Amino acid sequence: MFMLIKNEIGKIFGKKASWIYMLIIVIAVAIGGILEDRIGGEPNNNWREETQATVNQLQQDLEAAPEEEKEWMSAELKRQQGFLDENINPNAKSNWHFMNVTVAGVTMLVTLFAVIVSSASVSSEFSDGTIKQLLIRPHERWAILLSKYLSVIIYSLLLMIVLILAGFVTGSILFDSVDFNTKFFENTLEGQRIAQLGPQFFLKTVYYLPSLLILITISFMLSTLFKSQSLAVGIGIFVLFLSSTLGGLIVFLAEKYTWAKFLIFPHLDLTVYALQDKILGDVTLPISLLTLGVYYIIFIALTFTIFQKRDVSI
Amino acid sequence: MAGKALEIQSLTKKIKDKVIVDNVSLSIEKGEIFGLLGPNGAGKTTIIRMIVSLIGRTQGSVFVNGYNLDTHFKESMSEIGAIVENPEFYKYLSGYKNLRHYANMAKNKISDERIQEVIRVADLEEAIHQKVKTYSLGMRQRLGVAQALLHSPSLLILDEPTNGLDPQGIREFREYLRSITKEGISVLVSSHLLSEMQLMCDRYAIIEKGKLIHISSINQLNDQNQEVHTVMFEVSDLEMALELLSENNLGVDFKKVDQNQISVILDKDSIAAANRLLVKNNVDVYAIHTVTTTLEDRFLELTGKGSQEVKTSVHVN
Repeated sequence: MFMLIKNEIGKIFGKKASWIYMLIIVIAVAIGGILEDRIGGEPNNNWREETQATVNQLQQDLEAAPEEEKEWMSAELKRQQGFLDENINPNAKSNWHFMNVTVAGVTMLVTLFAVIVSSASVSSEFSDGTIKQLLIRPHERWAILLSKYLSVIIYSLLLMIVLILAGFVTGSILFDSVDFNTKFFENTLEGQRIAQLGPQFFLKTVYYLPSLLILITISFMLSTLFKSQSLAVGIGIFVLFLSSTLGGLIVFLAEKYTWAKFLIFPHLDLTVYALQDKILGDVTLPISLLTLGVYYIIFIALTFTIFQKRDVSI
Repeated sequence: MAGKALEIQSLTKKIKDKVIVDNVSLSIEKGEIFGLLGPNGAGKTTIIRMIVSLIGRTQGSVFVNGYNLDTHFKESMSEIGAIVENPEFYKYLSGYKNLRHYANMAKNKISDERIQEVIRVADLEEAIHQKVKTYSLGMRQRLGVAQALLHSPSLLILDEPTNGLDPQGIREFREYLRSITKEGISVLVSSHLLSEMQLMCDRYAIIEKGKLIHISSINQLNDQNQEVHTVMFEVSDLEMALELLSENNLGVDFKKVDQNQISVILDKDSIAAANRLLVKNNVDVYAIHTVTTTLEDRFLELTGKGSQEVKTSVHVN
């Protein structure tokens, strides 16, 4: 099995595109860093006085404000007061701030490239006709398929590592380095929540991995279903974008029908659990994980059964 | 099963209700080149793909060098080296990396020396570190042979191996096959090019519409030719000639070919006797010539593709 995985990884890196994807991630992180550095301006050292002034102003305005505006004004007052109470600079910039905002955003690219490589994994062997030479070896089909699957996962994790390293290096060059456990406020749908920079970043990363795995698995399944590489990659990317745009529709459906909560799409982005405890009203992280687990087993079973039985007649 | 390089028993493939391969059984001796012959779409490729387990079998069993493919999959596959249709490679990798890739998949470890050896045999030493996309078709074909021989299999399976090769390449390929069978490797080769197969194979089977319709040895065919000939007589009186020959039991399978020619199947001595008989009875003989039976004739005869010829001739007996 080790040799099979070595072969598959060799094939992934034998393609120029696989190196280019890594390069694109590094470039995207660098551009993100430069933009944040230029646009954000210098962090303000007098932030306490300014925030205090905003708080005072808000308190004055609140008394005179009409009834309908009072609600958001008091929320904003609470938010601003929070910075003062916790002694957190609202405009702070640091390497770990950069990791939390920009680098976490670039994971979209990791997903995209993982989906592309994964959908091409088996389908390209069919497109090129090399599948015939591959399957006439003294290895069971499932072992060959498993080696392909594992090597795609390894490549995707490498992409993730490249992203984190590039993010840390870029952040450390462009911004001040701060303590791993520095506190900051994370904006969520339910107001802001205090968190620590480093742990929050890795929490997001950990929550990101199951959805990455599921998307890799879906595209890998497509890859075994289609003989055409371009078709498999195309549908893989389509599913990826579908999953990110269906969110609003699912929220609407879930209010009316319970079954909508068990569609795969709302569970694909677990990173929201780094920000809030529940989605779609009452769905918690364990429920999401369980739902994903059931889908995962179905996808893997389908992929391996289809591949095992398939007649290779190209 | 011992001693047989390949033995297939009642191999059958059905897709829905369509029978692609119908109950085919055959066996290949060690060191033998065995041809699988048939028109395109007859089921040759399907048979080969069932042997190398690219396609599932509806029924039947396969034994490779004594190993049952069902119960000893890895052992059986280790005994097989194959090129299924055009040899396809990872074009973005070098020839060497492609070979290394397949070497890594072998059951027993393959040494660098062995890889160098097959590269030398395939005459690819100069180009082996270039990417396969720069290779010519002939080079790819040779690289295909190299990957098939890499793990020293006892059975080499080649599906339409001469497709796309020029005459020079085909000739070299044939000589090469001859040389490897001397080392005890058996070869199963499929083709629709009959003349090729005649030069290449020790024995052959003819497949048509999924059925094995004939199995024979090419040497047998050649032996027959030395003893029994199809002979054409060009004579002045056809009816008279036919009557005389059939009355005297000289030859069988009389046919009128055209207005002044008949064809008869005879042995060598009978040709002289027939000539004497005709001349004695005042039938003028203008020409006598023998027709060699080629594999192509046999093939057309067996598959019924020669029926146009049969229609124009008249059976007497």
